[in-house]
Amino acid sequence: MTASRDGTIPKRRAADQAQAEAIFTSVGDGFISTDEFGHITRINPVALKLLGYKRQELLNAWFPEKIIAVYADNMPVSLIDRPITKALLTGKPISEKTFLRRKNGEIIPVAVTASPILMNGKPIGATQIFRDITLEQEVDRMKSEFISLASHQLRTPLSAIKTYSHMLSDGLMGPLHKDQLKALETIISASNRMNELISTLLNITRIETGTIAVTFKTVNVCELVSELMPELTLMAHNKSITLKIKQPPKIERSRLRIISDSLIIKEVVTNLASNAIKYTPDNGKVEIIIRPGTKDVRVSVKDSGWGIPLHSQDQVFSKFFRAHNIVKKETTGTGLGLYLVKGLLDAVGGTIWFNSKEGKGTNFTFTLPRKPSKNLIQI
Amino acid sequence: MNSKSPSIYEQVLKITHKYLGAGADNFIDKQVENHLNKSPADLSITDLSSLIDWIKVTVSLITEDNTVIDNYTGELQKLVSHAKLRAGH
Repeated sequence: MTASRDGTIPKRRAADQAQAEAIFTSVGDGFISTDEFGHITRINPVALKLLGYKRQELLNAWFPEKIIAVYADNMPVSLIDRPITKALLTGKPISEKTFLRRKNGEIIPVAVTASPILMNGKPIGATQIFRDITLEQEVDRMKSEFISLASHQLRTPLSAIKTYSHMLSDGLMGPLHKDQLKALETIISASNRMNELISTLLNITRIETGTIAVTFKTVNVCELVSELMPELTLMAHNKSITLKIKQPPKIERSRLRIISDSLIIKEVVTNLASNAIKYTPDNGKVEIIIRPGTKDVRVSVKDSGWGIPLHSQDQVFSKFFRAHNIVKKETTGTGLGLYLVKGLLDAVGGTIWFNSKEGKGTNFTFTLPRKPSKNLIQI
Repeated sequence: MNSKSPSIYEQVLKITHKYLGAGADNFIDKQVENHLNKSPADLSITDLSSLIDWIKVTVSLITEDNTVIDNYTGELQKLVSHAKLRAGH
């Protein structure tokens, strides 16, 4: 750009720069940028306040030396795993929750978004935007504590309801006529549903507070899934759905033996399979496929159901998520099942993904490692 | 019988191993897949300049030692120069 005779363009450029600087300074989140050598080029007042540094202490400093991402125990995250490095490795913005170490050594929980800076397609540095989430975490913790307490308190009256309902239905308190028995069946079925919901809420609280108990033992995935089949078959039968289990030939079944937690695996399969049955129209098909991988065992739960709309697919594992196309069809879901499944799999070192097409069906696949990694065993 | 000459990917990996050790494969694979949108095995000499730009800025967040960064990217740059020379012959 060349200067015009009356100086209009340089003036406009200066005004633009001043405006950009004002925006940068006024941003409510911490903001830091680096050059191509990883040196800090800009830092706004919010970032300085959050980290407890003075501007001159950070300007031109090497980013990883001063902006230290740490774990909750204050151990530094390896340089390659820090959000800003990951953003440059992937070329995409990376958003995650981590902790940053302040100048005085304290740590603060933050939500970070790091992105590469590109000029004409060439990387010339990176930015990191972050905000303090101490308050959000405290609210989450209180919410989890409340759910845990409420769930425990609900269990006691519920078990009384269930016990006495069963006693009544078994005729231990005198004979009942047909309508009374039917009403009792509804009470028992509703209290079973409530019991399941309480278990889900308790499990979620345990995952979120890091107190879930994981017991690693040698288990055979095929045997575990087979144990669940009678209950799942009954569910499928009620909707005339064909439920099949596909497993490798007998000779290969020893390869389905892994070291993991049997209760967690059963919970995951039950959740995925009952979801598949619930969200598949009558006379549809659900298939559970188990196959050994080199380092893991893979289980797929495939259905011919309503599928998940494309625009909702990135929220599938979020808490309370329910796809809009099934909310009216199925009113009993809580939107917690897949959130729980993801959390349970994380606890045993597993992974999960899915393919889905609206109106065609969904295929969830999860992996279970043959052996838990060392850090999981330590937990 | 002449043995097959190493591919560009193998040469890049060999250089990267010297500087990044065991993490080299993962590092290069991610860079190629994410920035060049291709499989590492399909890396060609024409991709190297762009790859070097990304490597330089990423490695700058792993080490502050400019000599290491310059030597590493310099060696990669030599692959481009040699290829140009060979093409010139």
